[in-house]
Amino acid sequence: MAKKNFEEIRGITDPILEGISNGWITLNAGDYTQSATLEADVAIIGTGAGGGVTAEILAKAGLKVLLIEEGPLKSTNDFKMDEREAYKDLYQENAGRMSKDGAMSILQGRCVGGTTVINWTSSFRTPEQTLQYWSDEFKTEGVSKEEMAPWFDKMEKRLNIAPWAFPANENNAVLMRGADALDISWKAIPRNVAGCWNLGYCGTGCPTNAKQSMLVTTIPGAMNDGSQLLYSARAERLIIEDDKVTGIEITALDKSYRPTGIKLTVKAPTVVLSAGGINGPAMMLRSEAPDPKGLVGKRTFFHPTIFSFAEFEQEINPYYGAPQAIYSDHFQWETVDGPVGYKLEVPPLHPGLTSALLMGHGESHFDDIRKLPNMNGMISLLRDGFNEESIGGTIELASDGSAIIDYPFTDYLWEGVKRTHLTMAEIQFAAGAKSVKPAHVDAKFETSWEASKAAINELSYEACRALVGSAHVMGGMAMGEDLDRCVVNSQGKYHYLDNLYVIDGSIFPTSIGANPQLSIYGMACRLATGLAVKLTGKTPA
Amino acid sequence: MDSKIDQALPTTRRGFLQLGLMGTATLALGSTVATLTGCATPLERDSTFKFLKPDDRALFAALIPQVLNKSFPGDLSDKSAMRRMLLSLDDLIYTLQYNNRHQMRMMFDALAMAPIRMIAGASWTDWEDMSPKQVNDFLIGWRDSSIQLKRMGYVSLTKLINISWYSQPESFASTGYPGPPVKIPTPVSPTLSSISSITTAEQS
Repeated sequence: MAKKNFEEIRGITDPILEGISNGWITLNAGDYTQSATLEADVAIIGTGAGGGVTAEILAKAGLKVLLIEEGPLKSTNDFKMDEREAYKDLYQENAGRMSKDGAMSILQGRCVGGTTVINWTSSFRTPEQTLQYWSDEFKTEGVSKEEMAPWFDKMEKRLNIAPWAFPANENNAVLMRGADALDISWKAIPRNVAGCWNLGYCGTGCPTNAKQSMLVTTIPGAMNDGSQLLYSARAERLIIEDDKVTGIEITALDKSYRPTGIKLTVKAPTVVLSAGGINGPAMMLRSEAPDPKGLVGKRTFFHPTIFSFAEFEQEINPYYGAPQAIYSDHFQWETVDGPVGYKLEVPPLHPGLTSALLMGHGESHFDDIRKLPNMNGMISLLRDGFNEESIGGTIELASDGSAIIDYPFTDYLWEGVKRTHLTMAEIQFAAGAKSVKPAHVDAKFETSWEASKAAINELSYEACRALVGSAHVMGGMAMGEDLDRCVVNSQGKYHYLDNLYVIDGSIFPTSIGANPQLSIYGMACRLATGLAVKLTGKTPA
Repeated sequence: MDSKIDQALPTTRRGFLQLGLMGTATLALGSTVATLTGCATPLERDSTFKFLKPDDRALFAALIPQVLNKSFPGDLSDKSAMRRMLLSLDDLIYTLQYNNRHQMRMMFDALAMAPIRMIAGASWTDWEDMSPKQVNDFLIGWRDSSIQLKRMGYVSLTKLINISWYSQPESFASTGYPGPPVKIPTPVSPTLSSISSITTAEQS
């Protein structure tokens, strides 16, 4: 029987609780018993990678910032490595968010700090090919590899990003060994951590403050410079008059994330939308924001993520240790816009999430989940948005105004899914796996690469048979100067409103081709610095 | 708790009908009929449950032991494990956004009514009285269906049950997961309450 890697964790400070006790102004919208109006120089909707970075830069420039967050304020003392609490408190829809036809499950954060609180810390610069594609196809300006480099430098320093220098856990070592055996290139993943304990619980909120999420870096930075934080507050709609946003209508939420019935109003001469690629476009649609070409909420991308499981003789303990340490881009850029390219990584496997990923029920499912201590999981992240057969999804509104994610899976993507099942099985067997099962409702553990290959070739690839997940939301409000395709200019300003800026993953015209957090940090640093200069007339230090 | 779908079925059939398949239409129509004729039971007043009505709970009570197999009830008694699961599922579904909750409500109402349940591929027998084989046959029928909506139903039902159960510490022994370290929080002396903060903000 496997043993715990650590018995207990104690003596860790909680920077949010300490900040509040030192006088930060944090407002729970759910506590309001009557409507109120809040004012600031800049209102930022969303506190994830985009909003967090923007808030710190604008606050340091001397602007009065109000951060608005739909989710709750949870912090280090709340992070108990318990899947139940984490999914409920920190994830959109209790980690049960899915696309309209149920074919894709989506893990996305919903808390102060956004997805940065629950991601697995992988930090890659936007690939040069992606930046070039944007410039060629969408007429983005000022975002070449060379022009972006100083912004990435700055954020890498701010968030302590460096390739993981410690030995990879066994789960990651499988990818490394298998890739070596097959002559597939791989590298160590850069991570945003400082003093990481190598625990394995990045996904349930870092219990040691090692992960340099927005919650322990830029948000405290902004709060120390006089920003205010309004949480449990859903930005319902923008109030728009002529070409300006004149206010934001806020729905206060209770502890069950349902409206309390109280509405608040935020007034700010400048508004930054950093609510991500699902909720941001949905709020723009609810607001009936000007959008002459009907582009808002179109071309929403996800890096559809495909899973493969392997059983080993030795213990893997895939729930312990830095969750992502090794990646391979070997199959990523064979062509830019041909058959879909993909990145290979591994996911941490905790029992709740793993039981869902394994799909199925009854005795065979129980037999599968019992392999957990000896199990390796591998994932491939499909780079969507670079081919005319990969136009992404569409954000629609339900009758209550919430977002519906319509992401039809095309044959182009299914071809990629099958190809990655084959690649991953081959790598897992090359690393010494006893048996391998692709995440597909009709698949079972096969005991040789030949048998696995034959079985995969017989599988039917369609919605709700092959498992597709995603933890990356991008696009929906593309940035660029081509008005037929873009709604945000290269400075982050919404093309059709004078005082609305969009700073988050939604402005990416395609998927990134890498875990997107550093792409968002770097772009936000560039755009927010430009905005600070525009608003104050001074270059921030 | 302002949303209609938590307590009663909305009249719109969007979502279920749009796929246009016969089986899909039957399910959707069926669930609408179930509500219009008052055949779907309402959520009790003062229920501990926020979403799951008695019929929904009967459905899950039948499915849970079949889906979880020998892992259930883990370190708990049958009764407390079932109670834990139903409350956990209720919480989870209640947190879903409108469209997903709406789909769940449609599916549960359809499966609660015998004639529609039978057309959908389950037994006429009430869920309480179904044999394990009847429940399992229903699951396999939906899993292997050529109708996308049934496969979505299968994936949703099994995923909800599995994730709710295997994240319970009392199931860890059955999977060999040693569990997380114990987190001992560091207290911070309380000062400003959020209400006093609100006052400060409004005055500023």
